[in-house]
Amino acid sequence: MSLTLYHGEPNGPSLTVLAALYESGLDADLVAIDLAKGERHSTAERNREVEMSIEGEGPVLVADGEPMADSVFLAQYLDEASGGSLQPTDPYARWEMEMWCRFIIERVAPAASLLGNRAHLTPKLQAISDEEFETLVGAIASADLAARWRKERAGDYPEAQVEDSREKIRLAVQRLEGRIDGDWILGAFTIADLESYAWLAGMVAIVPDAFVEAPKTRAWLARVNARDSVQQALARSPTGDPLHAWAPGPEINRWG
Amino acid sequence: MSEKVTLFHWEPNANSGKPMLALAEKGVDFESHYLDLLNFDQHKPDYLKINPQGTIPAMVHGDKVLTESTAIMEYADNAFDGPPLMPRDARDRWRVRWWMKFMDQWLGPSFSMIGWSIFVGPSVRARDPQELEAAIDRIPLPERRTAWRKAIYNLFSEEELAESNRRIGVGITMLEEALSKRAWLASDQYSLADVNGFNLGYALPLSQPDLANDEKTPHIMEWLRKIYERPATRHIWSMGRTPMVARVKILERGVQS
Repeated sequence: MSLTLYHGEPNGPSLTVLAALYESGLDADLVAIDLAKGERHSTAERNREVEMSIEGEGPVLVADGEPMADSVFLAQYLDEASGGSLQPTDPYARWEMEMWCRFIIERVAPAASLLGNRAHLTPKLQAISDEEFETLVGAIASADLAARWRKERAGDYPEAQVEDSREKIRLAVQRLEGRIDGDWILGAFTIADLESYAWLAGMVAIVPDAFVEAPKTRAWLARVNARDSVQQALARSPTGDPLHAWAPGPEINRWG
Repeated sequence: MSEKVTLFHWEPNANSGKPMLALAEKGVDFESHYLDLLNFDQHKPDYLKINPQGTIPAMVHGDKVLTESTAIMEYADNAFDGPPLMPRDARDRWRVRWWMKFMDQWLGPSFSMIGWSIFVGPSVRARDPQELEAAIDRIPLPERRTAWRKAIYNLFSEEELAESNRRIGVGITMLEEALSKRAWLASDQYSLADVNGFNLGYALPLSQPDLANDEKTPHIMEWLRKIYERPATRHIWSMGRTPMVARVKILERGVQS
């Protein structure tokens, strides 16, 4: 099996997949790309599934010539291809893991993405010329993803939406605080821990009040951070500052 | 696992149809509890005792309550004997998951926005306004309250509907492309992605006759017909109670050419 992973800074989806790769023990060629410069649409190998991935700017894993996207599914792929143990085998526990990951993907990631991009991507995009920005966006095949890039550059986020996103982070931390079972979210260490950490680690600085009365969550964040796989993933950061690296993520539910 | 299986569902269509069809393909006998979505049965106290979120479908297996249609299907595939509905190969499994997420979160909501604006909304709009407001107030999830309010009072903007129509067009092109590469949607084996896709798209030749037809999308048409011909599909679509299920007859060979 030949694997190449095009990954961004180890934050969000790229962190999930890099850490899952190190957990799996599989060998892969690692290619660092700058997601905030749109390099997923110029440098990474692509196919329809990569272009249309609704996760937005996540990593691309090429397995035996087939480019694949979507961090949780890439983590599942790496786990299954290596015979790993990042997913429960009991069907009900497995359902719980999948439901937890969906909660992070559908509710937490869009909120974290809005807040992270507002703080860190908008200033970067406003600093580049219109021409450079149009070249970047022009390479994006998905019209709705391109529209999200334009919104991030305009940086005009309604205050109600910003507050709603903060509220979603607070609720996620509350839920986590009630759910952590021993060391990890679901008892055993799973992809749910990686995916949750990947989206929430950057929120400690952006929504600090969410974590004040959450001692179990803070201890869990430190435990995930200390894992070998996560440390190895973080060591792949070209800038050494991955929590400030954001790029457009999944869209906020169109139904409200 | 021989514990009793009970499924709470509406018509064999979209989210309700997914676990119904997956269970039938697995050969699992289940007790059927029909909830009338248009009568807001899913927000009534009896059902909220089972699924406090008030979403359908839900499945009870022994003492476990499972929700979310795609996650229920994956659970059913893991928990019950019968033909596997997930391929063994890790890359094929990735493709099944990719397509299900794409349909559940990107393409499906576009279909349902159109469906709710032309069918669900008008179906309930004529009722007593106070009764409707009370029904909306009983919906547990705020995002479902928003969705129902939009459907009932026709609050979808031109822009939203246009975007949904754009996505339906893109999605049909992508389905045709994927189905021209492999025997089934995500792999060469019939899988949960096909069960999911059929529930989303079985009425496409009726609802989008200009985009989905034998000329433009022969692979989609053949795929839908092959799924319709499976005994499990026949059985599940016979469980429908409203005229809605009759739409599937467009897939009889010879009806559309």
